[in-house]
Amino acid sequence: MRDRDDRGGSKDGAPWGVAAWAAGILALLVVLPLTARRGLRERLATHWGGSGEPDGSLPLWAVVVVPAVIWAVLVAGAVVWRAARGWTTVVLASGGVLLAGVQVSVVRANLYAADWRDADSVTVGAAVTVAASLAAALAATRVGHRPRVAEKPAGEGPRMDIPAGERRVWLSRTVNPWLGLISAVAGVAAASVLLIGLSGLTETMWMLIVPLAMVSLAFLTCSSVRVLVTGRGVEAAFGPLAWPVRRWAPADIESARVETRTPAQVGGWGYRLSGLGTTVMLRSGECLVVRVKGKDFAVSVDDAERGAALLNSLTGMPAGRP
Amino acid sequence: MLLRLNIADNRPLHEQVAGAIRRAIAEGECAPGDRLPPARELSLALGVNANTVLRGLRALRDEGLLEFRRGRGVTVAGGAAGRSALMERVRELVADGARLGYSKGDLMEMIKEAQ
Repeated sequence: MRDRDDRGGSKDGAPWGVAAWAAGILALLVVLPLTARRGLRERLATHWGGSGEPDGSLPLWAVVVVPAVIWAVLVAGAVVWRAARGWTTVVLASGGVLLAGVQVSVVRANLYAADWRDADSVTVGAAVTVAASLAAALAATRVGHRPRVAEKPAGEGPRMDIPAGERRVWLSRTVNPWLGLISAVAGVAAASVLLIGLSGLTETMWMLIVPLAMVSLAFLTCSSVRVLVTGRGVEAAFGPLAWPVRRWAPADIESARVETRTPAQVGGWGYRLSGLGTTVMLRSGECLVVRVKGKDFAVSVDDAERGAALLNSLTGMPAGRP
Repeated sequence: MLLRLNIADNRPLHEQVAGAIRRAIAEGECAPGDRLPPARELSLALGVNANTVLRGLRALRDEGLLEFRRGRGVTVAGGAAGRSALMERVRELVADGARLGYSKGDLMEMIKEAQ
């Protein structure tokens, strides 16, 4: 077992994910009723009877504060309470979705109602929220119980003998044409919407153009990767522009090895953070896994065996290092 | 692909680059029809200027080992492996000849006489 498993409450590489999720839900819970303030009364219906009629209310400030406090307690509990560690992801995923869904339903039902007693029914919202929350819990269970392969001790990677007076470099590249295609489709869609807007047929729909353009860019960046192993360490560059680039100096690299990984293991295609560390997954199969400062970084590239061997030989670590 | 360079080599850089790629082809690192990494990538990997890499690649094209195709980049020519291996031996022969004081002309005479 590695030390990070004994630390804190979250899974490897996940603390940032948990923090972002917690902050995002919190922001939604607080900001949503506040932005809708103009369409809301002093008191809001917050409880509905069996017939779908509202039968309980809270002031607006309580609608802002109460869910936020519940969420804060839930997050703190899930992270701090060690016994709940295995359930952190499930609790936070389903709890966040549930609270967000409830908040959206409450605000929606109360919006533009003359009095809290006239608020709309929330039956549909409640049903959707519960279903989404269950789905989130289920998805989180799968994420939380992903098989862990990365339990091999560092330093047991392949090696290669480099004859004196020879310098060796290794390069490999993987391209996923499907991700490129999705990027192209999203890009064309963004450009079309922009042009339609510019032509004056409709308003320029930035709310559509910006997300589409970002999706296009994200997929383009993940559509190809090239890895370079030289005396300067290892370098992974993404996309046709070879940007962004991640580099590690030989001094930081503990070991390199080869592993077979699948998109199902790491949670999909592209740049993935999971229990196995970071994986750049463009195709299922052999991956070059580099361990840097106790963390694994994997890239799905061909010929990874020799890449790992060269890297191990260049970093000069004795084989079998603990 | 794995590229090997001789540190002690004092030939011009573009010839060293060509040599490394010739050797890679001869050893089956890239099969005929395979696309070679872009010159910019090779220049990063080898630590030489991209123009120097291109000069080396052009030399290999002139030897018939590589094909430059518009839109497809640089690919390894059919039958390049055998030719590449042979070229490597010819180069060694020329280098050995030069060391022992035989010019290329002398070597050609010797090759003609060899049966």
